[in-house]
Amino acid sequence: MPEPIKPDWMRLVRERLAGSRSCHQDVVAELAAHLEEVYEEARACRSSDTEAMRFALDQVDDWQVLAAEIARAKSEEDVMNHRTKALWFPGLVTFLGASMLLAWTQFAGFQPRLIWIGGMGMLFYWPWLAGLPVFGATGAYLSRRAQGPTQARLVAGLFPALIMAVVMCLILPWGLVIDGFSFFRLVHFGLGFMNWVALPGLALFLGTTPFLGKSNLPTA
Amino acid sequence: MTKRIRSKISRGSGELAILSLLAEQPLYGFEIARQIGERTGGALNFTLASLYPLLYEMEKRGWVEGHWQANPAGRDRRYYRLTTAGRKQLAPLREQWRSFFQALDSLAGVSHA
Repeated sequence: MPEPIKPDWMRLVRERLAGSRSCHQDVVAELAAHLEEVYEEARACRSSDTEAMRFALDQVDDWQVLAAEIARAKSEEDVMNHRTKALWFPGLVTFLGASMLLAWTQFAGFQPRLIWIGGMGMLFYWPWLAGLPVFGATGAYLSRRAQGPTQARLVAGLFPALIMAVVMCLILPWGLVIDGFSFFRLVHFGLGFMNWVALPGLALFLGTTPFLGKSNLPTA
Repeated sequence: MTKRIRSKISRGSGELAILSLLAEQPLYGFEIARQIGERTGGALNFTLASLYPLLYEMEKRGWVEGHWQANPAGRDRRYYRLTTAGRKQLAPLREQWRSFFQALDSLAGVSHA
């Protein structure tokens, strides 16, 4: 009895996915291998060629739907959207909120408190620092609502302090190059870092903390 | 139950099923579908059409990683293994489903005797 002619699964899958964005060589090869195994298993269960072939093809109701779903699954767009929703948007809200609060405290005439440390004055914007936990909480909440992971919630909540940290880390080497190295400059930088990064960061973190735990939102 | 809700539930349960299987060992698509069918007594069944979009989505999220492996007996196979991110995802996903079933049980008494 002659061996039955095996279906060309690669060709079959390629034809059905032809023209779609999901028609990559890797995808075609993987789906073809899957169909072939379904077919072989059906054959091993004493199905006829025709039955086994039908059984394999029944794996897919609508190839166009499958092609669209694979294209969507492989598209980077969703990742970008998710990152935007879970990180950049909440971070921006935190940053804008913190900036507007600082502008408002200055506009409303709240005077910063001057504290002398080792002969150097530091300006503390207490009303601003006191309001920052609210914005840290808002950023972390928005990130959690978008199902952001813990790191994203933390970054979103601390966003203004992180931006200031980056800015200051860029300013220091630049200042040292322009004005030359001095111990005074380093101490001044340290105090500035404390004033604009560490303390605001701590205040934002206070608001962020309640939203760092696991979410009760179902993802089913 | 609307089609949308049903689709979300089956998608979520599919993710949990795949991550749990791959936590044990790397597997290729056909084997994943076969083992899920066998080990759930046929309650969960993956066809090619339902499996691969989910696998590719999980790969995009960085939960699983696929690599081709030569198969001397036939076609090469693309094996999937759990990544560190996928492993981290598994515990909270299990917990969410446990809470979900407990909540449903307290509401509708759906747990088996």
